[in-house]
Amino acid sequence: MTGYRLPNSGLVDRAATLEFRFDGKRFTGHAGDTLASALLANDQLLLARSFKYHRPRGLVTAGVSEPNALMTIGSGARTDANTRATVAELYAGLEARSQNNWPSLKHDVGALNNLLSPFLSAGFYYKTFMWPAAFWEKLYEPLIRRAAGLGRAVLESDPESYEKCWTHCDLLIVGSGPAGLSAALTAGRAGLRVVLAEQDFRLGGALLSETTTIGEQTAPAFAETVLSELGTLPNVTLMPRTTVFGWYDDNVFGAVERVQKHVAQPLAKLPVERLWRIAAKRALLATGAEERPLVFGGNDRPGVMTASAIGTYANRFGVAAGKSVAIFTNGNAGYRTAEDLARQGVGITAIIDTRADAPSRSAEALKDVRIIKGAGIIDTMGGQRLNKLVFERSGYEEVIACDAIGMSGGFNPVIHLACQRGARPVWSVELDTFVAPDVGGGLSIVGAAAGRYSLSACLADGAEKAATIAADLGFAATSYEAPAVGEEVDPSFTALWYVPGAKSKAFVDFQNDVQARDLGLALREGFGHVEHAKRYTTNGMATDQGKLSGVNAAGILAGMRGVSPAEVGITTFRPFYTPVSFGALAGTARDMHAAPKRVSPLHGWAERNGAVFVEAGLWYRSSWFPREGEKTWRQATDREVLNVRENVGLCDVSTLGKIEVFGSDAAEFLNRLYCNPMAKLPIGKARYGLMLREDGIVYDDGTVSRFGENHFFVTTTTGLAAGVLSHMEYCAQILWPELDVRFTSVTDQWAQMSIAGPKARDVVQALVEDDISNKAFPYLSAGVVTLKGGLKARLFRISFSGELAFELAVPASFGESVADAVMEAGRAHGICAYGLEALNVLRLEKGYVTHAEFDGRVTPDDAGFGRMVSAQKLDFIGKRLSTRYGLTAADRMQMVGLKPVEKDKTIRAGAHLLKEGAKPSTINDQGYVSSASFSPVLDHDIALAFLKSGRERYGERIVVWDRLKNEETVAEVCEPVFVDTQSTKLKV
Amino acid sequence: MASLIHCPHCGIRPKEEFTVRGDASLVRPEPDASDEAWHEYVHIRANPRGRTREHWQHLYGCRRFLVVERDTVTHEVYSVTDGAAAARGGSR
Amino acid sequence: MLFQSRHPLESKIGSGSSIRAVDHLEIPRSVAIATVLSHPDETAAVVAGFAAAGDLVMRNVAPGEWLVLSHIERSDSLERRLSGLLTDIADVVDQSEGRVLLRLSGPNVRRILAKGVAIDLDPSAFAIGQSVNLRCGHIAVNFARSGENEFELVVMRSFAESLLEDLLLMGREFDLSYGFSGGLADPD
Repeated sequence: MTGYRLPNSGLVDRAATLEFRFDGKRFTGHAGDTLASALLANDQLLLARSFKYHRPRGLVTAGVSEPNALMTIGSGARTDANTRATVAELYAGLEARSQNNWPSLKHDVGALNNLLSPFLSAGFYYKTFMWPAAFWEKLYEPLIRRAAGLGRAVLESDPESYEKCWTHCDLLIVGSGPAGLSAALTAGRAGLRVVLAEQDFRLGGALLSETTTIGEQTAPAFAETVLSELGTLPNVTLMPRTTVFGWYDDNVFGAVERVQKHVAQPLAKLPVERLWRIAAKRALLATGAEERPLVFGGNDRPGVMTASAIGTYANRFGVAAGKSVAIFTNGNAGYRTAEDLARQGVGITAIIDTRADAPSRSAEALKDVRIIKGAGIIDTMGGQRLNKLVFERSGYEEVIACDAIGMSGGFNPVIHLACQRGARPVWSVELDTFVAPDVGGGLSIVGAAAGRYSLSACLADGAEKAATIAADLGFAATSYEAPAVGEEVDPSFTALWYVPGAKSKAFVDFQNDVQARDLGLALREGFGHVEHAKRYTTNGMATDQGKLSGVNAAGILAGMRGVSPAEVGITTFRPFYTPVSFGALAGTARDMHAAPKRVSPLHGWAERNGAVFVEAGLWYRSSWFPREGEKTWRQATDREVLNVRENVGLCDVSTLGKIEVFGSDAAEFLNRLYCNPMAKLPIGKARYGLMLREDGIVYDDGTVSRFGENHFFVTTTTGLAAGVLSHMEYCAQILWPELDVRFTSVTDQWAQMSIAGPKARDVVQALVEDDISNKAFPYLSAGVVTLKGGLKARLFRISFSGELAFELAVPASFGESVADAVMEAGRAHGICAYGLEALNVLRLEKGYVTHAEFDGRVTPDDAGFGRMVSAQKLDFIGKRLSTRYGLTAADRMQMVGLKPVEKDKTIRAGAHLLKEGAKPSTINDQGYVSSASFSPVLDHDIALAFLKSGRERYGERIVVWDRLKNEETVAEVCEPVFVDTQSTKLKV
Repeated sequence: MASLIHCPHCGIRPKEEFTVRGDASLVRPEPDASDEAWHEYVHIRANPRGRTREHWQHLYGCRRFLVVERDTVTHEVYSVTDGAAAARGGSR
Repeated sequence: MLFQSRHPLESKIGSGSSIRAVDHLEIPRSVAIATVLSHPDETAAVVAGFAAAGDLVMRNVAPGEWLVLSHIERSDSLERRLSGLLTDIADVVDQSEGRVLLRLSGPNVRRILAKGVAIDLDPSAFAIGQSVNLRCGHIAVNFARSGENEFELVVMRSFAESLLEDLLLMGREFDLSYGFSGGLADPD
C-alpha cells in the first residue's frame, strides 16, 4: 500500500494545513481530515500492533468500527487511550502515539507471540494459566496484562470538565445520511421539534463519500443544501460530533457530544464532552449499514481494508490507499469502489470476485481492469506493507502484485440501538444478514439500517417514515421529495463467510486476534453457542464489540454446524454503542459538586469561634472549638465538656430534623408512630419519643412538643431526618389515610442552639423577656418566647448532657446574631462553644443513646427503655412484632456501662466482650462496645456496650477484646450512667 | 426499570426523583391478627416476574407515595396513581 | 436587643458580579414564604382564598400543599394574614427563613437549566405561571416559570450555597452573572 493525497477530490480544506505528530514524527494534514486519513495521506500504513500476536496492523475502516487503529492521543493529564484514529478529528498540534508495542511500533518484541501462535489458540489462557491458583494474581495476570494490551490510562486527575444535559423532542433522528436528512427535512418542515444527531464531525453521513449525483448536485453538495435549510428551521437542532450510544426505557436516549475533543486548548467555560439524555416522543434510526470484511488468509496485513473505507478515503478525504489496488468482492458494491478509484486515476490491479456467475459490468472506467470471477484470495505478502496477493481459482494459484486490497463482503445494517432493550436481531434471508425486529412505536428503523441500501430508497424511506410519525403526533406533513438520484450502486451480493484454502491466518476479529479456526475449536470443545463461542474465543469482546466480526462469526459457526445463521443468532447488543468516557458519565458531579453540602445557619458563628468542621451526612457540623495552645481534638473536647459541667456551653443543634405536625388526628397519628404514649402530651410540654420499625427494632428517637390541641412539633436525629419524614408520609398516606393529619419539614427554618450547664438559665434569661425560672418553665417545657427586642423564638427545656439545658430556636437568618448575643451574655459566666465531640462525651457520661446504640439490632428494652413502650396502646408501629420471643429473650444483649479496671486502659467502640479466660470466638462472644470515650469528669475511659443479660451482670469483670488494635482491656460492667447518677442537675 | 415516570401530580419525571418502597399490595394486619399474618406482612416478599404494583415515593416532587404498576421484564409502566387514594379506596 | 438578619448567601455572593450579563441570577434578599397545608377536601376553598387575596404568589408543591410568596409583606404578617384568610381550611407555616429564592433570567436560561432539570422547558410543556417541585442536579427545589425566559427556584436554606455553586457552574458557558437584588450588577 502506498497512501497518497489525490490532487483534487475530497471535502478537506486544502488551504488549511494542520501539523500533527504520530510517535514523535511530524506530519501534516488538512482541516476536514481524520487522524486516520491524514496518516494514510502521509503513507503511514503501520499504525498498531494486534492485541495477542502483536501483528503489524493498519487501517481497516474509515469509521467507528475500526478494530486496529487505536491510538493514545494527547499529552500529560490530557491523554486519551484507545482512541480510534478513524474518528479522531485532526487539529493543529494533535499528538498521537501507537499502543501495545515495545520498544517501537516497527520493531516490536511482542511479535514473538506470532511465532508461538500454535500454542496461543483460543482458550489458551483458560487452559494454561489455571494452575497453581496462586500464580494467577502474582505472575500470570501481570505478564498477560503487560503483553496483551491496549493503551495505558494516565494517573493524573482529569483536568477537563464535563457536563450533562437533558433535551426533549418530538423526533430524534440518529444519523445524518440520506435517510436521516430527508426525515429531518420532512419533520422539520412540518413543525416537529427535531434533534438530528450525527457521530461524525461533519453532517451528511454516506452522502459525503458518494460519487453519484442527486438532481443537478453532487451528493455532498446536496447534503449541504438540505443542511442549510435545516439550519434555518428553529425547531430543528443539528448535533454533529454526537454519538447516540444507548436506547433506554421510555424512549430516553443517551448521547455524548464531543464539544472540544477536536481542539488543542479547550475553552475553560465549555465542557470537553457533554452527556445528553434525550427524551424523544419518537426516534428514527438512520444509522446506515456497515460493509463486511471477508475472512481470508492474510486478511490483516496493513493495506487490506474494506472497499467502502478505500472509497471513503478517496471520495471524502481525497486520499488514495494505494497505487495498485485490488478489489476482493462477493457482490457488486466492490465494482463501484473500483470505478470511483479508477476515475480518480488510481490504478486497479484486478477485481477478484468470489462469484463464478457474477454479472458482467461494462463501466467505461473499468474497461482495462482484469476481472477474475469464481476466485478467492488465500494469502497476502509483504510483511508490514502489503505488496502481493495470492488467489486461487479452480485449483490454480496465482500471485498478483498490489499495494492495497479492498474487501467487500456484503452489508450489515447498523441496528445496535434497536436491539439494546431485549429485542433479538432476526435473520433476513433476502439480505443475508441480521436485521432489527419490530421494536414498537417509539423507534423506527429507516434507510440502509433497515436494509434499504440504495440512495433513492434511503431518501424516500426517511421522508415517508418521518411523515408517518408527524401525522401520528398530530402534525400535517408531506414527505420531502428528493431530486432524482444518478447512477445507483447495486448492493446485491452472495454471502461468503470464509474463503477456503487460507494459507495463513484468516482473521474474523482483528482487534482480539480471533481466527476462523478458533471458532472451529470452540465448536469442537462444546462452546458452539454464539454466546459461548464469544467468551471462549473472545470474538466480539474487544473495544469495537464485534462491529465487524459479529455477523461473520455467526456465519462461520452456522457453516460449521450446518445450519442457517438464523439458528446461531448473534451476541447481545448492549449500551454503549461506542466507548464513552467516565468523565462524561460523571458530568459535573465530581469534587465539590459530587454531593451538595448542607450548611447550618450557625455556620458563620461557628467559624468565627474557630470551629473545626466534620461532615455528617451532607451537613458540615462543628466538631470542636480549639483554643490557643490546644493541639489535639481531645484537649479542646475535654475543656468543652468540663466547662459545660461547671459553667455553660453553646452547641449548634440546627441540623436535627424538625417537622411541624397539624390536624385533628395529629395526636392519634403520633401515638401510633411512637412506641410511647403521645396522645395526652399537654400543650406546652416536650416528651422524648421512641420510634420503632414494624419489626420491633428501634428506628429513631427525638422529641415531640405540643404547641396546640392540633399542633405538634417533632424532632428527629440529624442522620435519619429524611428517612423519618418519608416514614411519616408513608404512614399518613398509605397506612392511615383516614387520619386528619398533615406535616411539613421546618428543619431549615430554625437555627437551634443548645445552651447547657449549671449557669444556662442565667445566660438564656438575659436574652428572653419571659420568665424561665424552674417554676415557670420546668424541665420538659416547650413554648414560644419573646427575645428582648421583640424577636419571636421557641424555647425547649430539654437536655442531652444531663445538665440544666435549654434549646433555643430562632428564625434561621437571626441565628448567628442570637448566638453572638448568647456568647456575649454568657461571657461573665464562662460560656464556651462546644462541638459534636463534646456533645458525644456529655451524653455518654449520662448514658444517653444515639444511633451508635440504635444500630438496627436493638429493641427499646435492650437499651433500657422497656418501660417506655406502651402496653395500653391498641396499636403503634412495631407493637405486634416487638413482643415475639426473639426480641424478648432473657439472654438478649442489654445496654450496660463499662469502666476499665485499670484506669489508664483504653476502651474502643467496636471491640467485643469476652468472659475472662475465654478464647475469642463467635460462640464465646458476649457482646460489643457501641460507644466509648475518655471522660474528663472521671479521668478515665467510659463506654456503652451491649452485653448478654447485661443488666444482671453489674459488677462483673469482662474482657474488652479489640482485634483491630490487638488490645485487651479488663473492664467492670456497670449501670450505663457515669456522671450525676441521680440526675440532680437536670431539673433544677 | 423505567427511565421516566408520569407522576399524576407533577408530570413526567426521571426515575432519579423517586425512591421505591416496595410491594403496594401489602395491607397492614389488624393488631390482633395472627403471628403468621404479621410475619408475612413484615418479612415475606415476592419477587414477581411480570406485572407488579409497587409504592414509589416522588421524593423530589410532591413527596406522595404513588402506586406504580409496571412489568419487571419489559419495564413497561401501565399506570401511576396516587397511593393514598388507592389506600382509601381499599383497592390495595 | 436588636438582632441582625443575615442572608444565607451573604458571604458567597457579597456584591456579586461586577458586570451584569444577559443571563443573570438574581437573589432577592427578603421574600416572605409560607407553606400552606389544606385540610381534607378544602383544596378548592384554599385556592379561592388565594385568588381573593389577589397579590399572593402561589407555588404548587403537592396536592393540597403550596408555597405562598410575597415580596412586599414581612414574614410574620404574611403568616398572620394567611392564617386569617384560611382559618379552619388550612394550616400555615412560616418558611421565610427556611427557604431561599433564586431567579434566573436571560435568553439562555433554558439551556442553563437543562443541565440540572429534567423536565421539558419548552413553553408548550411548561408555561408561564406553572410551578412544580423537582430535582435540580442533586437538590430538591420548587421551580416556577415566571416569564418566557425567567424562572424562579425556591430551595431549602441549607442547600442554597450548593445550589448557587451548581447554577454558576451550569451558567459558566454563558458567563452567567449573579448578585442580590439591587446589587452592583443590577440596573434596577
